[in-house]
Amino acid sequence: MVIAFPPRQVTIHAESSARTDDLKVTFTHDIAPIIFHNCAGCHHPGGAGPFPLLTYEDVKSHARQIATVTGSRFMPPWQPEPGELKFDGERRLSDAQITVIQQWVEEGAVEGQPGELPPVPHFAEEGWQLGTPDLVPRTQKPFLLPAAGGDTYWNFVLPIPVDGTRWVKAVEIRPGEKRLVHHANMLVDRLGRARELEKEPGSGFGGMEIRLESEAFDPDSHLLFWKPGSVPAEEPEGMALRIDKGTNLVLNMHLQPSGKPEVIQPSVGLYFTDKPATLHPMLLEIENDAALHVPAGAKEFAVADEFILPVEVDVLAIYPHAHYLGKDILAYARLPNGSVKTLIHIPHWDLNWQAVYRYAELVRLPKGTVLGMRYTYDNSEANLRNPNHPPQLVKGGNRSSDEMAHLWLQVLPRSDTPPDVDPRRLLQEALSRHEVEKDPGNFEAQYNLAAMLGARGETKEAVAHYIAAAEIRPKDPVVANALGSVLLANGDVRGAIRSFQAALQERPNYFDARYNLGIALASQGDFPAAAQEFQESVRLNPEDANAHANLGAALAQLGKLMEAKSQLEIAPKLRPDSQLARDNLAEVEQMIARQGKSN
Amino acid sequence: MGRRSTISINLRPHIVRATLIACMVTSFFAGGICSNAADSNQATGVNLSGQPVDPLKTANGKVTVLIFVRTDCPISNRYAPTIQRLSSQFAGRSTFWLIYPAKSETSGSIQQHLKQYGYKLGALQDPQHTLIKASHVEVTPEAAVFNASGDLVYHGRIDNWYEDFGHARTVPTTHELADAISAVLNGRRPTVNSSPAIGCYISDLQ
Repeated sequence: MVIAFPPRQVTIHAESSARTDDLKVTFTHDIAPIIFHNCAGCHHPGGAGPFPLLTYEDVKSHARQIATVTGSRFMPPWQPEPGELKFDGERRLSDAQITVIQQWVEEGAVEGQPGELPPVPHFAEEGWQLGTPDLVPRTQKPFLLPAAGGDTYWNFVLPIPVDGTRWVKAVEIRPGEKRLVHHANMLVDRLGRARELEKEPGSGFGGMEIRLESEAFDPDSHLLFWKPGSVPAEEPEGMALRIDKGTNLVLNMHLQPSGKPEVIQPSVGLYFTDKPATLHPMLLEIENDAALHVPAGAKEFAVADEFILPVEVDVLAIYPHAHYLGKDILAYARLPNGSVKTLIHIPHWDLNWQAVYRYAELVRLPKGTVLGMRYTYDNSEANLRNPNHPPQLVKGGNRSSDEMAHLWLQVLPRSDTPPDVDPRRLLQEALSRHEVEKDPGNFEAQYNLAAMLGARGETKEAVAHYIAAAEIRPKDPVVANALGSVLLANGDVRGAIRSFQAALQERPNYFDARYNLGIALASQGDFPAAAQEFQESVRLNPEDANAHANLGAALAQLGKLMEAKSQLEIAPKLRPDSQLARDNLAEVEQMIARQGKSN
Repeated sequence: MGRRSTISINLRPHIVRATLIACMVTSFFAGGICSNAADSNQATGVNLSGQPVDPLKTANGKVTVLIFVRTDCPISNRYAPTIQRLSSQFAGRSTFWLIYPAKSETSGSIQQHLKQYGYKLGALQDPQHTLIKASHVEVTPEAAVFNASGDLVYHGRIDNWYEDFGHARTVPTTHELADAISAVLNGRRPTVNSSPAIGCYISDLQ
């Protein structure tokens, strides 16, 4: 663990033409406190820094370099401009500290009295900083980073072997060789989608950006990440992260070659709590990728977006994201009373040092606050990190040579709406609506808004947006199935049937569509056809209790009572709480009994 | 660095001046940059067996390339594949040496460094910094090219990959070292005879 201590008071003596040794800036008295407090966190053996800075010899052998890089503020790495809102873990030297370092070098970088050296910090590099984890998902195949080449992005998929829902109070990400990792994001994949991107389980896959589907309403809640100097911490009280059976974690890593071949083998430690989450944060994303059309040579291409908060929120953390052309990053909040808060301002964006920034104190933003982002991009030759030589037109997209304009905020919505209305839904719906207004051709936005509206019972509006989504991706079976569901809810049985059939045309083994078609047919009394669909559903997914229950009900309607009974008996075995199946079974058993009596 | 004929006679001040004149005359023809004649017999490193080696004396008519490196410099290390590749590219007509200025390095630590970074080059330490002085280098990695006569014809960066600490291009767009070596091998003066290099300071090692 780091032994923390306050920086020593630095006495800067007035300049005199003949400085005696007594008045010189020394390592032990003046420099070591600065280095130990601001630099050693990365610059120690096994840390993210490429060389240690723990002893006089260490520091002296890089003295002029330290003066240069602190003078330019390249080090310590801290991108945001200081402002009204403070972040946790800010690493920034004062002007006075920078001056004293330069003075030390100019005066010959003397050691000073050994007795004045502050305690040297210790770092538990070999172990877990939060202690032994409750669960360490099995490590997957390591990634071999070649000696040469540019930035590399690699994703590890980590299945979590739990039998049921667990609550995670802390996550520790250990990237492996810290020197090589610029940044790592961790995503929670609840539907196993990331696995599909691997050639074989455990092999990992490349790619800078990944997007994972989430369930109908289960927005991401935590910004899980690692950056050089990150210190793992427990989540605030009440904000445990939910993990279910079948959840995978995806570790998305940004790597840089070192000059020799390296093995990347990260690990993740999970720490559980018995207390389920009582607070439900949400990741809110504002973006404007569609506006990214950055011409070759453009030096200050700006994109912007604004979104009005429909509920009051407390902001916990912020994560701006752009790629290599990003230059000036600004996020702000304009409150209803007219005041403006700068949420973050990064005047010299450097993708290598991208990070999640947690606010030292929650930032309360009332309902009606305008959240805004304004990012500029430099697509000229003068931008050294331009991936194209000569510069070319760059648009928004997932590849590292594309650009992005994203702003993520982790927020805790506060709401005075009735307790049964989840303020996160209001927020998510407002975001989806905003996205659709900005770009009606955005498939995801149309689909998500439709899903939100459908979940809320606004079936007519949901239909309109599903139709819009289907127009963007005709024949998409997922849209067709979803559209059918809301048409059915809206009473348009014939339309629903057509939709489900369209979905099955594209994907005959689509369980949901098959099942839904059965329901639609049953609702218009076509039991033979319904039974056929339920039969097929059972074949596709024998574990689904409802499919068995409905098949039983349809068979009962057709007078096939014994077959109905056996299906209805299966259902409660699969899902003991299926009351409907039990009721239907009871009724069928009565019908059988009556039949027996009348025979 | 190479032998020069003394035009003038023996009075000490005249020798110095004459040497300078001679130096300028020969450099005009050979495309060399002069260095202090006092250095010419002292540009010696120490090999991994502890023996003194003068890389220019052992050049045997080939071009000599000295690359100054530090084991603890991330920029120097990132260049390892490039350095090794250049050495292979010009093999047979030039000799590359890795020069380790740090007094704290041992034969063992250097051998480990060579192995880790896939270097198949000769390595020398430079405890008196004579090679450094003869090469006019300040950081690692930084290169010095000497023609077959032992004159310094280029010193500076390998390429323009790094513009500043933490400020690197995706790929370098100018290749000063390769260009200098090619020029000299073709009997020409390099177009660029020196360029600023980015890396860890050699002076920090004193």
